[in-house]
Amino acid sequence: MRATAETIDIQEILNRKARRKDLLRNIIPFSGLVFIFVFFTVVTQGKMLSSSNLTNLISQCFSVTIVAAGASFVYAHGGMDFSIGPSCGVAQLVAALIITRSDLPIWLAIAACILVTVVTSTMVGATSAYLRVPVFVVSLCMRAICSGILTVGIAESDIAIDYARFSGFNSEVLKAVVLLVVIGVSYYLFEYTSLGKYEKAMGGNVVTAFQAGVVVKRTQIAAYTLMGLCVGIAGFFQLTRTAGVTGGSGSGLEFDIMVAIVLGGFPMMGGSAARLRSVIIGALTITILSNGLVLWGLDYLLVNGVKGLLFLIIVAITYDRTNQNQMNFTSA
Amino acid sequence: MLTVKKISKAFGPTRALIDVDMEIRRGEIRGLIGENGSGKSTLASIIAGAQFADSGSFELKGKPYAPRNMVGAQNHGVSMIIQEMGTIPGITVAANIFTGRLEEFTRFGFINMKAINRRAAELLQEIGAGDIHPETLINRLNFEERKIVEIARAMVANPDLLIVDETTTALAQRGRELLYRLIRRLHEENKSVLFISHDLHELMSICDTITVLRDGIVIDTLEKEEISVDRMRSLMVGRELSGSYFRSDYDGSYSDEVVLEAKRVTSGILEEFNLELHKGEILGVGGLSDCGMHELGRVLFGIDKPITGSVTLKKNNVQVKDPHVATKNNMAYVSKERDREAIILNASIKENVVLPSHRQLRKVLGLITRRSETNLTNKQIETLRIKCRNGKQICNELSGGNKQKVVFAKWLGKESDILILDCPTRGIDVGVKAAMYKLMTELKAQGKSIVMISEELPELIGMSDRILLLKNGRLQAELRRSPDISEKQIIQYII
Repeated sequence: MRATAETIDIQEILNRKARRKDLLRNIIPFSGLVFIFVFFTVVTQGKMLSSSNLTNLISQCFSVTIVAAGASFVYAHGGMDFSIGPSCGVAQLVAALIITRSDLPIWLAIAACILVTVVTSTMVGATSAYLRVPVFVVSLCMRAICSGILTVGIAESDIAIDYARFSGFNSEVLKAVVLLVVIGVSYYLFEYTSLGKYEKAMGGNVVTAFQAGVVVKRTQIAAYTLMGLCVGIAGFFQLTRTAGVTGGSGSGLEFDIMVAIVLGGFPMMGGSAARLRSVIIGALTITILSNGLVLWGLDYLLVNGVKGLLFLIIVAITYDRTNQNQMNFTSA
Repeated sequence: MLTVKKISKAFGPTRALIDVDMEIRRGEIRGLIGENGSGKSTLASIIAGAQFADSGSFELKGKPYAPRNMVGAQNHGVSMIIQEMGTIPGITVAANIFTGRLEEFTRFGFINMKAINRRAAELLQEIGAGDIHPETLINRLNFEERKIVEIARAMVANPDLLIVDETTTALAQRGRELLYRLIRRLHEENKSVLFISHDLHELMSICDTITVLRDGIVIDTLEKEEISVDRMRSLMVGRELSGSYFRSDYDGSYSDEVVLEAKRVTSGILEEFNLELHKGEILGVGGLSDCGMHELGRVLFGIDKPITGSVTLKKNNVQVKDPHVATKNNMAYVSKERDREAIILNASIKENVVLPSHRQLRKVLGLITRRSETNLTNKQIETLRIKCRNGKQICNELSGGNKQKVVFAKWLGKESDILILDCPTRGIDVGVKAAMYKLMTELKAQGKSIVMISEELPELIGMSDRILLLKNGRLQAELRRSPDISEKQIIQYII
């Protein structure tokens, strides 16, 4: 039997369907972002677009986006880190202590802030890689350690720094520049260098990556170090904005990142479908959502609950449940 | 017995079955053949209720038949022994056999394990595997015994139609004979068998009729007197293939230069193993599956670290201590477990092909351009004739043979000099097989060195300059290339 006109037609239809599915997968997160933006602009009668709120939005999306860019390397290889919130808090604590208790220059405080998160994140990655403990467990332990340190650090009282002295760090221009640089560098590393490609390959099949000569442990740890770097940068800006350290410093960051990952259509288990733009879109979406909900009149204390619910719904819809065994069976 | 009417099925944009019509008579042993991706397993699993057709219908014993799941199909009298389903670990043989049917042994919420064990023992006895004890934990059985348990599971409901999907590839002599006996018995009881296999000789000896599938279409159905290996082969591939596809020369020469040396390597079952691989040599390594040859491949490439001894690349005197060092020194490794180890199924052809070649593609600041990746990939797609839409296609959508080509492509694109191939033609069809053999011959001519680990004796005899035969982790014999080597001679050494 030859390929008749009819069979060619059916093939054409199937190809078109597959292309449409691909297109949809790419478009849904983006249109979700646009929808949420328009929706909240309408229901808040334009409050969303007021200049004071836009300023707010920029600084809110600033930390989530920067951290998400770094986290994409971790999630791309199938990793995760629950410790970034508390470790961000500790980094702010250390920086605040340097600023308030010593005469050391500001750049040293910044360096210390970044160093703290780089060290904690790298330790999470390295411990998991070398001791062969699931990163989930290691990062929970690191989370507990960091929360402990933060609690002790502010046991006597919250630490306040002089807001006026650091107002330069709150300029939107500086933030926009830092944001663009971080996104640009991450994008390059993620999409155009071995680092990003290896992370994705490991997320796809770590055995294959290893046998192709990828130094798996080093690549894994590099992702955590990079994320730590981003957390540290975000941490210092947060410190200057809130002008102090409290028990809540940095908290919720890891969850915001996870929601950003799923909202943007970034695969939770990493792999080939991971795109940096997905996390950026996700980060913007989650920021606008949190901001919009509060503007709309939702009690700030309830925002986290709503995020949790949303997270569950999106994961339930998008989670890739086909494991490789099943694949083999159905496509054999 | 069974009438298949216009069955169609698609996976995404890939059409697995296109309007398949087929009739299986009572008492008939029907063979089903086709290259990988031709749709035979898909058809079998739809008949057995493991998947659904997009359109079309079945008639079983004159009545419409539309199974909702495998147990449902079994209750209608259709059972299947699946290619790679496996057993459930952690529970007993008997529990495995009666998986999904425990209600039949349940009274007031309690399972009568005694009755299950008794029935399982009877069943195993019936199929000629009385030595497998029903209360044994499945984990304690070896691979072949587990496969036999699967056969028992298929026989639970006393099927009228038994579907055997490439089961014999996993079975050694004993298991095969058991299965053949079973098939003959079903035939005598006027029941039917649908038999799927890659082994054309096997098919010829047991089947009454053979249906050939190609690209999801029924090409032909051969009656007993029309069946011949050449006929089946050319129908499957769609063009004439010459009788032999191995190397035609018997010049087993290679350079004296040693490129890779293993010295007193102990790892797993391997004991103090020595090996020298020369430039331009195809070194065959053969034996039974658990003789240590697969371990040898892993140690040579640095995947497993040997307990004693070392593997050395002679050119720069470098020790192969991990795959990173190996790939850096232009070594390649094709794993026996293709889907699990050698390929990223959810990634594109391009991502797979480029993966080991980053070092060559890197420019300033570590930049790897899209264009350099695409060029490398397209060149390989062209030379290896990988059947795909383009380099962006996801590997999961490819057929087995084409996936294997992708695995080869990634190492050829890197221009590897030393290739460790573990069962390079496992589970791929004749057309691709022939291409692989031709490729190996070309690589040898270019002065590359190949270690070919294989469980297939004709392949070892047909391709190797030298054959190392292993048994229980030790070297048993070394044979030089010659037209006189027979399979019988080899079997003597390895069993």
